[in-house]
Amino acid sequence: MKTKAMLIDITKCIGCRACEQACKEVHHFPAEHEPVLSATALTVVEERGDKFVRRLCMHCEDPACASVCPVGALKKTAAGPVTYDAKKCFGCRYCMLACPYSVPRYEWSKLAPHVKKCDMCAERVAAGGVTACAEACPVGATIFGDREDLLAEAQKRIRENPAYVNKIYGAEEVGGASVFFLSDVPFEKLGFIKAPQTTPLPVLSASALGEVPTVVMVGGSLLAGLYWFTQRRQQVMAAEATEKEHNVPRFRDKERS
Amino acid sequence: MTRIRLPKITLWRAVAGLIFAAGFYATYLRFVKGFEVATNLSNAQPWGIWVGVATLCGVGLSAGGFAIAGAVYLLGMERYRPILRAAVVIAFLGYLSVVAGYAWELGLPWNFWHPIVMWNRHSVLFEVVWCITIYTTVLALEFSPALVERIPWKGVRELYLKLQHKILIALVLIGVLLSSLHQSFLGGLFIIFKGKMYPLWYSNYQTTLFYMSAIPAGISMIILALYLSARSLNVKIDMRILDDFSRIIAPMLVIFTLFRFADLAKQNALGYLFLPVAETGYFWLEMALFVAAPLVLFNLPQVRSKPIGLYWASATVIAGFITHRINVSITSLERFTHANYVPKWPEMAVTVMLVTAAVVAFRFAVLYLKIFPQSMQVEPPPFQLPRTTGYVFPAHPSTAVN
Repeated sequence: MKTKAMLIDITKCIGCRACEQACKEVHHFPAEHEPVLSATALTVVEERGDKFVRRLCMHCEDPACASVCPVGALKKTAAGPVTYDAKKCFGCRYCMLACPYSVPRYEWSKLAPHVKKCDMCAERVAAGGVTACAEACPVGATIFGDREDLLAEAQKRIRENPAYVNKIYGAEEVGGASVFFLSDVPFEKLGFIKAPQTTPLPVLSASALGEVPTVVMVGGSLLAGLYWFTQRRQQVMAAEATEKEHNVPRFRDKERS
Repeated sequence: MTRIRLPKITLWRAVAGLIFAAGFYATYLRFVKGFEVATNLSNAQPWGIWVGVATLCGVGLSAGGFAIAGAVYLLGMERYRPILRAAVVIAFLGYLSVVAGYAWELGLPWNFWHPIVMWNRHSVLFEVVWCITIYTTVLALEFSPALVERIPWKGVRELYLKLQHKILIALVLIGVLLSSLHQSFLGGLFIIFKGKMYPLWYSNYQTTLFYMSAIPAGISMIILALYLSARSLNVKIDMRILDDFSRIIAPMLVIFTLFRFADLAKQNALGYLFLPVAETGYFWLEMALFVAAPLVLFNLPQVRSKPIGLYWASATVIAGFITHRINVSITSLERFTHANYVPKWPEMAVTVMLVTAAVVAFRFAVLYLKIFPQSMQVEPPPFQLPRTTGYVFPAHPSTAVN
């Protein structure tokens, strides 16, 4: 299966919140509209001026959340979705902080809380289906498809209509995502964060972790060497002390006399 | 009618009692009512003081254990041997309280063992968890002779001590390596938060910075513990050792600060040093407590010559160190997250309880085990078992022959 993705065209969105409702339905959450992302609202439509902006997990190509998870509960699947395995999670919440888009939510009110975020309807997608939000959108503002096709489609729209900002948000942010946005208003004005880099964030941790073998090898040998040196010095000192005590003439002394 | 003898109530016992009472109530809130009632943690601020203080500072302040063990065994600095056990006990109790603290901090604490079987070697936290788990075991083994000496059966005791002595150098070496790794990796946790952290605290070299700040803080912690032992547990402190330590701390802080500013310069963050924003205040508070005040105090002869002077100077270093780590883990994120995080009282109560538990345990260890050599103990500890071997602190019988 080719890698799947979603394309969200802000110029087309009419703010009907059908995507929100469809998402709540497939996840069996209470139907009330929530203004911001929560453990029971994995996507919301936020109003920015006269524009409507969907918030949801970006499903990064090389996700920071999955790289920091010490138990590997979060995974980037080959099909595109970044999924969460509640059985593995032990609740450290590192993913929430590592996510550059601050998307993952926590079930703070529960006694056995889990992380909640959009999973791009991984089960439906695996069964050959379409995400609930894309299916529900009456105007085609959110469409679902193969990642490559959607990128080509987005480029085509930008090429054909000069009203679009010449940028596909999500194409290269922190190494690229699987959710793309098109807009006719600059993204920073719509509250999109400026990604800290175009290379994946896990590269940063990897460079620190890459030092482990060096530290162990070099540090280990160095410490062992120091220990040997210390031991030897103490031995020599002890030997010299006994010699002095017993007044044993040393080789050199003999030679001189 | 029998009279039950209650322990005498002293001021500090009352304080400790209150701390534990508050801690237990906070624990009830955390486990029966949940995070929402017990903490001010939120989606915007998922890590609070249980990470920022209980873990980051707990581990950092326990760095004295590997530093002193390494100095004595690997570098042959025999003059520190009298306080070696104390340093190991402080580190061991520090790590125990950090590990225990995860019962409150983790959302699903009963899954604490997951990282042992579910691996993700791309995760800095995975490495930290492994290092801390192994190192706490190493510390337990390093500390174990103090307990084993109390075993009344000579054969068992001597066999264990002999075996322990055989692997001791390996333990110390592994301990130094593991400590160097996870002390740095605690800083490494923050490298991936690029773009979210205020420039005064983000660094590509956070690993190095955390390592360089932990050692002076860990040594200050030992000074603090030694002074308090002298005050309340009748331990004679060797001023020469304290004096030695006080000479080490200041240069370490200077190196840390130079590195810190060089790093800020490299990242073009020097412009943020005097901006009229709240972060600037927190930064300079950190600098004042962690660097400026200790440098002045450790250089004043009136301060240096008296244990109480060194005690306060070390306390300042520790306060500055805690400020630094709170700034890195909490203050730095505020501008991005707008979380407005201030810890709720149960968060503080649990943190204070963990520290108090470690202090009480240290007290009992000094009272009932041979933590300090006989020469440093002014009066013999109560409830001491009869000495059955010709054991001379601190060397092991098998080596005492040499």
